[in-house]
Amino acid sequence: MKRTPARISQLIFLALFLILFVRTEYRGRDEINAAVNAFFRVDPLVLFSYLLAAKSWTWLLLPAVLMTLSTLALGRFFCGWICPLGTILDLLTSRIRKTAPIRALKGNTKYWLLLPLLSASLFNLNLSGLLDPIAILLRALTFLLHPLMGLTAREGWVALYRLIGERRDALAPAYNLIRNTLLPFRDTIYPLALLSAVILLAVIASERFETRNWCRNLCPLGTLLGWLGRFSIFKRLPTGLCADCGACRELCPTSFDQGRLDKGECVLCMECLNGCPQGRVSFRPTLTWKEAGPLLPERRVLLGGMAAGVLLAIPARFRAPEQVSRLLRPPGVRSEDEFLKRCVRCGECMKVCLKSALYPAAWQAGIEGFYTPLLIPRLGYCEYNCTLCGQVCPTGAIPVLAVETKRREVIGKAVFDKNYCLPFARKIDCIVCEEHCPIPEKAIRSRETTVIGLDGVSKTVKEPYLVEEICNGCGICENVCPLETKAGIEVFAVKNRSPISQISAEPSADPYSAQ
Amino acid sequence: MDRRTFLKASGAASLLAPTLIREALAAGEQPLVAVAEGTDYPAITRKAINALGGMKRFVKAGDVVVVKPNMGWDRSSELAANTHPQVVRAVVEECLAAGAKKVKVFDYTCNDSRRCYVNSGIEGALKGMKNVECKQIEPERFRKVTLNGRFLKEWELYDEALTANVYINVPVAKHHGLSKLTLGLKNIMGIMGGNRGYIHRSLDVALADVNAHFKSHLTIIDATRILTAHGPQGGNIADVKVLNKVIASVDVVAADAFATTLFGLKPADIPVTVAAHKRGLGEMDLGKIRVVKV
Repeated sequence: MKRTPARISQLIFLALFLILFVRTEYRGRDEINAAVNAFFRVDPLVLFSYLLAAKSWTWLLLPAVLMTLSTLALGRFFCGWICPLGTILDLLTSRIRKTAPIRALKGNTKYWLLLPLLSASLFNLNLSGLLDPIAILLRALTFLLHPLMGLTAREGWVALYRLIGERRDALAPAYNLIRNTLLPFRDTIYPLALLSAVILLAVIASERFETRNWCRNLCPLGTLLGWLGRFSIFKRLPTGLCADCGACRELCPTSFDQGRLDKGECVLCMECLNGCPQGRVSFRPTLTWKEAGPLLPERRVLLGGMAAGVLLAIPARFRAPEQVSRLLRPPGVRSEDEFLKRCVRCGECMKVCLKSALYPAAWQAGIEGFYTPLLIPRLGYCEYNCTLCGQVCPTGAIPVLAVETKRREVIGKAVFDKNYCLPFARKIDCIVCEEHCPIPEKAIRSRETTVIGLDGVSKTVKEPYLVEEICNGCGICENVCPLETKAGIEVFAVKNRSPISQISAEPSADPYSAQ
Repeated sequence: MDRRTFLKASGAASLLAPTLIREALAAGEQPLVAVAEGTDYPAITRKAINALGGMKRFVKAGDVVVVKPNMGWDRSSELAANTHPQVVRAVVEECLAAGAKKVKVFDYTCNDSRRCYVNSGIEGALKGMKNVECKQIEPERFRKVTLNGRFLKEWELYDEALTANVYINVPVAKHHGLSKLTLGLKNIMGIMGGNRGYIHRSLDVALADVNAHFKSHLTIIDATRILTAHGPQGGNIADVKVLNKVIASVDVVAADAFATTLFGLKPADIPVTVAAHKRGLGEMDLGKIRVVKV
């Protein structure tokens, strides 16, 4: 890579992306002031699909509005100067030998991706995050590559312990430094990890056909930016290839398929300007829209794309009822529908989750919920004093909450299964769930009850019960239940997620304490 | 506490200590429980230790010492779910002053370990101290140990505790939903790995099993403030009672037995204490315990 301003900018933004990525983790402070969500907040695809789906405004996406305006003015510079996935492609493409471009991808393919996504958003199915380039990169990193890195380092560290025992301590400072700055705290392996990595690898592998194959033929964000960018004030001269040279075709990473520079494809990398053997190329501000081409793609594509979105949006809503009961969403999400309209499926909440409680939905939430975060209590619970997922959510699908508010937000409600729960099923003491319940007044309580033990002898055990009014569904009870079969207490989703009441310290407030 | 008061306190204590020990010995096998009271928590911690003969009695030069507080919950120190950071720090300082080569402080936490270490205030209180380690648990260090107990035949214990020369048990006194109170005998759970919830089905016997195999050399109970209800993690300041006391004893059962009285309970009310006493791990009869108030 030559050191052009665009290249330097790309590397800076890639570095920034990676730094913010590793910082999207609890590192001893309750607040994360800079997280990788910044990249989604400047992402016009996220903005447009959010506006269409949620039909409301959030200040979180103001940077994306600014990006939209600057793209209108300057062109599709995001792709050539900022996009971390584009940068990775640029870094790798010289090592990938090219065959010929795929003809089937040319023409309107990109609109057939972008338009259905946008029109489906209008019909409340916001899937743009599935094909958003930053989300593709982030999911592959979060779900597979970063945990893999952590796992490798930790396995190595453990192996070292088996090998040299206590003497390993001498190396501990170095390991701790890496662990505290670079590695994930928990090397959780996520469902859909492989798929996420395969999608990223497919994008990279498609460089085999031509440079920036994904960016010029498929990427919905790039297509949107290109559509906005065709009105930019910059005009390249000459507009086409010169008869005596034609080097631009080789130099340009994204355009000149038709022998001319398409404004919607130009990523302003300035390779042609810097590489022109004759020094003829220049980018000049002009105020003519003549070359912008048609405002909209052909009517057939436009209507077809919109119709495809509608057709996608309706059947995608199907959900099996037995799955819905276990659809536990992150804290602060009160309405499933509103959540689905806003969630980018970027995976940040899952990355940052302190106890690795959040996992991407594969089939559980239906097509419309693919990759959305689900709390799986048996694997992790929502930490009472933690508010990180809301802080990193780029669109506010998970709201930012003060810790006092978050503690009262309802994720679900716990239910005992007396066929499993030890004091009921086996007549022995346990109450591990009560011990762990974080609600100061205890949403799980127990009463001493005289029962006939399994041996036929009368005895007293502590039988637990739930004070549903103050259960916030954090899931720690299900998480710590010592049963190896299934948990004796489980959290189920509820429709009414209004926050638990201001908890009263008075024992008399316990509706069950009368007896 | 400034250095002067520290010197005064330790000076006075070292003058007193020999007499106290002699008296204790004169009383035969009677275990000694030292109870220090005051609002200067480091000072009362030192007083309690010195009343037993000072840390030098337990820690020899070059020893590796484990100081095991409660820091299992993501709660701030005033909520009495974790041992008070000043008490922990004072114990650690005493160990270092007695010549300890290294002092290790850890707990196998119930909430996220990072948050517990930070919010308990203990990690912060020990920050920057030389030869002091406040590391989170590394699962590979648990080692299966044959206990041959009545309930637990074998269990995974933490090797840093097993290999240490001295193990100092520093629990906070608090309520517990199942065992009624959690004190020194129950604090041993912090060195236990595996499915700890499993032992709740016979908690008193299990804890006696572990304590019989693994002895605390010194137990220092933090009763500067105690959690009187909704234990073991509490969360409501209304459940916290400030007592400004630190209790120390070589006999973990005796220390627990005395601490029980702070809650208005009798040692016999606490099944764990009874089980440990029956197992011969210490004295729970308050009449046979010598309580020294300093």
